[in-house]
Amino acid sequence: MNIETLTLDATDDGPAAVELQIEGRFDAHEIELFRTAVDTKLDSGHNHIRIELSAVEFVDSSALAELVRGMKRCREDGGDLVLASPSDPVRVILELTKLDAAFVID
Amino acid sequence: MKPTTLDSYRTWATTPLEGPPHYSVVIPAYNEAERILPTIGAIAAQVSLLGEPWELIVADDGSTDETVSLVQDLGLANLHVLVADRNRGKGSAVRRGVLAARGQIILFADADQSTPIEQFQALEAQLLNGADVVVGSRAAAGSDVANKSMSRKIFSTGLSVIVRGVFRIPVADTQCGFKMFTADAARKLFRRQLIDEFSFDLEILYLARKFGMSTEEVPVSWIDAPGSKVDAAKVAIEFLRDLSIIRWNDICGRYEADNHELPPSIGTPQQTLATSSQTRGSTS
Repeated sequence: MNIETLTLDATDDGPAAVELQIEGRFDAHEIELFRTAVDTKLDSGHNHIRIELSAVEFVDSSALAELVRGMKRCREDGGDLVLASPSDPVRVILELTKLDAAFVID
Repeated sequence: MKPTTLDSYRTWATTPLEGPPHYSVVIPAYNEAERILPTIGAIAAQVSLLGEPWELIVADDGSTDETVSLVQDLGLANLHVLVADRNRGKGSAVRRGVLAARGQIILFADADQSTPIEQFQALEAQLLNGADVVVGSRAAAGSDVANKSMSRKIFSTGLSVIVRGVFRIPVADTQCGFKMFTADAARKLFRRQLIDEFSFDLEILYLARKFGMSTEEVPVSWIDAPGSKVDAAKVAIEFLRDLSIIRWNDICGRYEADNHELPPSIGTPQQTLATSSQTRGSTS
């Protein structure tokens, strides 16, 4: 059995919007990669970021905190960070942590 | 139409079981407020999908943070929280959880989700093939280990050599926090367990061999979760001490009868059981 590592695949979707696709396990080992990707997009003028989560199996608490940080940065810039198609386990985790109320989930 | 994961989870989360569960999952927890909710979410989503009635038991080990209140406040219908009056060690927490479990198949899994719950069914398959105890293994062929520190690799290798050579236990990885038992095996082993700390896994596997139980190893994926509370150097010293204690306990006949009573039945959801020492024997 292989451990799928988190990968990010960015797709430009208009001048201010971008999508980041994440796969695998999103935990503390991966947040630096994620943070760099989000900050790079924000610094280049993309303040609407969709995080595609359908292929994510697990998010730990540090990854959740990183998502919140990204959301705050996007909103400070007049945009938003949207969680798109979270997998069922991720949706349950968002519900249990009550973060489903904090994010826009598409 | 087959229910979705979310449908199954929501039914489990809101509807108390009417009969005994088929599965029990035990999570030992000591100051896990930061990590435990995602782990509960992942386990709840995965096990609910298996289509059998099940219960989740969080066995607190005297946490001084918000672990207990966080879990209790979830209000999940089939989640039970066992509260300890003080910290005694992981072995104590796992024992209380396992002895309170009512399922026919009992898994204990670490609170950091370092062994993903998706491997539940691989272990269950070995129980269905007749094993009494199934051990998630980071050392068996086919396992996949990520981010394991060098100190833990050295510790694990040394441990394996001692365990196999001295104790003749045919298990390459005794310490992985992902083990499954039949109910009968679990009760027999954990009622005799005397070690409350890190080495309890070794004691359980030692007892399984002593009682002629079938023990199988299943390779698992394992990710070293940041924030692990395992101090390899400290644990190595404790382990060497406990090796001799286990052997001495056996020589003295301390495993010939139960050392722990079965706890009161978990009857109501979110039940809190204050615990006290139920140890009849001694670990020292």
